[in-house]
Amino acid sequence: MVMTKVAPKKTVGNFGKLTAKMQRYREEIFDAKPYVDPERALLTTEAYQQYQDQQVDILRARVLEHILQKMTIFIEKDTLLVGNQAQHNRWAPVFPEYSMNWVIDELDTFEKRSGDVFYITDEAKEQLRKIAPFWQHNTLEDRGYAAFPEKSRLFYDLGLIGADGNITSGDGHIAVNYETVIKYGLVSYEKRIKEQMDQLDLTDINQQKQLYFYQAGLIVIKAVHDFADRYAQLAEKEAADATDQQRKDELLEIARIMRKVPYQPADSFYEAIQAVWFVHLILQIESNGHSVSYGRLDQYLNSFYENDVQAGKITAEKATELLTNLCMKTLTINKVRSWAHTEFSAGSPLYQNITIGGQTKDGKDAVNPMSYLILTAIAQAHLPQPNLTVRYHHGLSDHFMRQCVEVIKEGLGMPAFNNDEVIIPSFIARGVKKEDAYNYSAIGCVETAVPGKWGYRCTGMSFINFPRTLLIVMNGGRDPESGKQLLPNYGHFTEMKSYDELFTAWDQSLREITRQSVIIENTCDLALEQNYPDILCSVLTEDCIGRGKTIKEGGTIYDFISGLQVGIANLADSLAAIKKLVFEEKKITQQELWQALTDNFQGPGQEKLRQMLVNDAPKYGNDNDEVDQLIVQAYEPYIDEISKYKNTRYGRGPIGGTRYAGTSSISANVGQGHSTLATPDGRFARTPLSEGCSPSHSMDTDGPTAVFKSVSKLNTKAITGGVLLNQKMSPQLLRSPANCEKLVLLLRTFFNRLHGYHVQYNVVDRKTLVDAQEHPDKH
Amino acid sequence: MSTKRKINHDDKGLIFNIQKFSLNDGPGIRTVVFFKGCPLKCAWCANPESQARRPEKMYDEAKGCQIMVGEYRTVAEIMDVIMQDYDFYEESGGGVTLSGGEVLFQAPFAIKLAQAIKEKGIHLACETTGYTKPETFNEFYPYMDLIYFDCKQWSPLLHRQGTGGTNEMILKNMQTVIDSGKKYCIRIPVIPGFNYTDNDAQHFGELFGKMGVKRVELLPFHQFGLKKYADLGREYQMKDVAQLHSEDLLNYQKILQDAGITAQINGW
Ligand code: SF4
Repeated sequence: MVMTKVAPKKTVGNFGKLTAKMQRYREEIFDAKPYVDPERALLTTEAYQQYQDQQVDILRARVLEHILQKMTIFIEKDTLLVGNQAQHNRWAPVFPEYSMNWVIDELDTFEKRSGDVFYITDEAKEQLRKIAPFWQHNTLEDRGYAAFPEKSRLFYDLGLIGADGNITSGDGHIAVNYETVIKYGLVSYEKRIKEQMDQLDLTDINQQKQLYFYQAGLIVIKAVHDFADRYAQLAEKEAADATDQQRKDELLEIARIMRKVPYQPADSFYEAIQAVWFVHLILQIESNGHSVSYGRLDQYLNSFYENDVQAGKITAEKATELLTNLCMKTLTINKVRSWAHTEFSAGSPLYQNITIGGQTKDGKDAVNPMSYLILTAIAQAHLPQPNLTVRYHHGLSDHFMRQCVEVIKEGLGMPAFNNDEVIIPSFIARGVKKEDAYNYSAIGCVETAVPGKWGYRCTGMSFINFPRTLLIVMNGGRDPESGKQLLPNYGHFTEMKSYDELFTAWDQSLREITRQSVIIENTCDLALEQNYPDILCSVLTEDCIGRGKTIKEGGTIYDFISGLQVGIANLADSLAAIKKLVFEEKKITQQELWQALTDNFQGPGQEKLRQMLVNDAPKYGNDNDEVDQLIVQAYEPYIDEISKYKNTRYGRGPIGGTRYAGTSSISANVGQGHSTLATPDGRFARTPLSEGCSPSHSMDTDGPTAVFKSVSKLNTKAITGGVLLNQKMSPQLLRSPANCEKLVLLLRTFFNRLHGYHVQYNVVDRKTLVDAQEHPDKH
Repeated sequence: MSTKRKINHDDKGLIFNIQKFSLNDGPGIRTVVFFKGCPLKCAWCANPESQARRPEKMYDEAKGCQIMVGEYRTVAEIMDVIMQDYDFYEESGGGVTLSGGEVLFQAPFAIKLAQAIKEKGIHLACETTGYTKPETFNEFYPYMDLIYFDCKQWSPLLHRQGTGGTNEMILKNMQTVIDSGKKYCIRIPVIPGFNYTDNDAQHFGELFGKMGVKRVELLPFHQFGLKKYADLGREYQMKDVAQLHSEDLLNYQKILQDAGITAQINGW
């Protein structure tokens, strides 16, 4: 029998407290009320008006340049890192170029929302109304709608395929190459662009297009450099005014650093972390796509830290303070979404991920002193953002795992774990080079990509509502709610002879929806490519400079994307109930079931029928093959079909250019549940769907090992876009060290033996969790 | 399922629960098989549904109705469930624990099940009161890799008053295990009004000294079983007795330690 090594007797937990300075800074951020900030919108409008004759790459570069030159900047009195996104912390800038209609429509309702409330001043409303006409028929959303093929548009409008995020926002879902930024500075990118430019033959139209990209790249690099300089000047000015000597010194140090990075290479830990934050920030001024991630923060910061320690320039405490400062800066970034989209992303999270742990390029344990300090910083800062992911591999020490469990106990739902043992081989099988596969990081929360080399949205394309699709299939291809015929009619459920007949109809219909989702995604991608290139993000992603192309034109080394399939467990449980209770045991007739679904179980005797659906049919999440195999089969048509369709970058440079499945549905399950009638698993109409590939709420009655077993039956190798598993755990359970060790063993088995992809633990009871999403300031 | 005696259940065991990922029943990740039926009748029993050696009705709050507790299951059926978590046992150094009720109240079946588990090379533990004939016990315990012994009383008389049976067989079987060199763990459920006095602790100390026991675990009395009595529609004599907390056992622990016995308090 293989016994896992006993944990070494190093202490775990004891993360200590924030420094007094950081404690004050944290309070300041939590006290900040979220407002809708019009400043970026006004500056963007000015720039668009001034530069609309420019080639699109130049136009976009000038927009960023204009914003960075003119936007309000400030240095908070308790921060050591500088850079702000809006006029005040937690204010959310408006990005009118992506979508403006909803902003105007919701101006008077932002404050009245039931969740994710934003305040707005009358002046701001006025300013936004004034620029609105310029954006009419002039946003990503308008362009997307105009370009949708009619039939596909119907799927989008009815919400069966969700793509609000893709058509009202920038892309996001990316990590750039921070290692190069801090080691070589933006100056190195500038140099490379100039070299490339020198070689262009402008008689070739393709190379002429590249010229615009390169020119745009030089504009943004200079813009970033000048923006840093603005902070240097501000810091010097504030230093001159400062009465407190310590703060004066700090400000002068900030000024020195801002004169240097991110343009020049960083030479110390402090400089490196400032450079990373600054670039991370500007990427989120350039575009409002969420899930902009840090990549493997412990890997690229550690050498700076260790050098400083050796030179006696820094202590662990000081480094931790800077890391907590980074966490809090990360939290200041905010995003206001349309109400419709908010339902898909409750809690206004931005999914800015930090990944630690994992393996080095040659397969050794990559945990280093910085990994531990980041854990400490996350525990001390105790914030809902950034998201922390630990890359698991079998060589991860028990001590590090135990320390992770101590952070889990903080109740922040992190760290989440991604599993090297599955992700790396599946990347390699898809053509990712070994050294790159070993260097992957999490993007957002579950999904994974090679930082700095991968295009946008390794996941985060469109959402397909599986349970609602089933209802449409049962209804002869007609949407029961709108009455619209969306899919071919394979017969009504009430007339079907067998489960197999239903399954065949499901198979064919799901393939059709999959095709429609591809059309919708490509439409969004086309509009984004033609009109909204992110120049800075492209410059920092390989090998856009080498190819003279933006990310969206195929500039990256790798470009695989995935959408999200929502309601996995509801589909599983629905199919099992139909198969067993209707077709096998004939306890419920087809008519009775269909009627009950139509009546939302409100008719006479229908609650009893619903109880049968809930109690008498097997449920996904209990290691029961009878139901688990049904979802494996039902997922397969999607996995098979989606693999056939290329993305818009296919054949234009990147390895891949294709799609795969993914189930990291975050909170889309709530929004998509809203538009879904009652389902055969006994779920009431409009209530949330199940999350990711987690079992339906409280349907997993056989404990965590059974959940892991069920999840592991999914075709994880094919679902490279992420298999999200959210597990809840009571705080009492983790009180004893012995139980914490058992949690480690449980995780090891899931990852080593069952090839799990991801798991995340929430150790708060459900009520606190919901409250935390709605009032993050309270927690 | 009929509960009549005449139905032949020879090949089956009466089981009231199989719990995966059970946390306090041995090393690693374990599945616990709960046997239904117990020859003793402790007033503080936290699993009253485990006492009767027949299926019985019990109210299930989650379902909002009466359910049957206890099911006759074959070795093969139980093994199917056990094997589902094989990977977890192997990775974690865990396995299976047989518990109850009293496992040895269905000794022939328990032995068959133990054989099947050992054939798969799975680590096997049991939680027992040891209240069975030594011949039966001697047939059973060699299959175990680890034995948790519930030692409730040092005095035969008081044992009978509290549980309905004396402790002579128990102590004999316990001695067998101690002498066999098997891994074992002796646990004292510390119950107010039954074995919670300083005098009790002193006597336990002497007894263990004689028997060669070096270490015991103390389990403070808790009220987790309270609701189950109501759900079974049964009277619960201990309902007004206050729970004990770890700190309530510090003196008890000290007395044992003064007698040379390491006593670990396993608070809940
Ligand atoms: S021996 Fe155990 S199971 Fe039997 S009655 Fe006593 S406490 Fe309950």
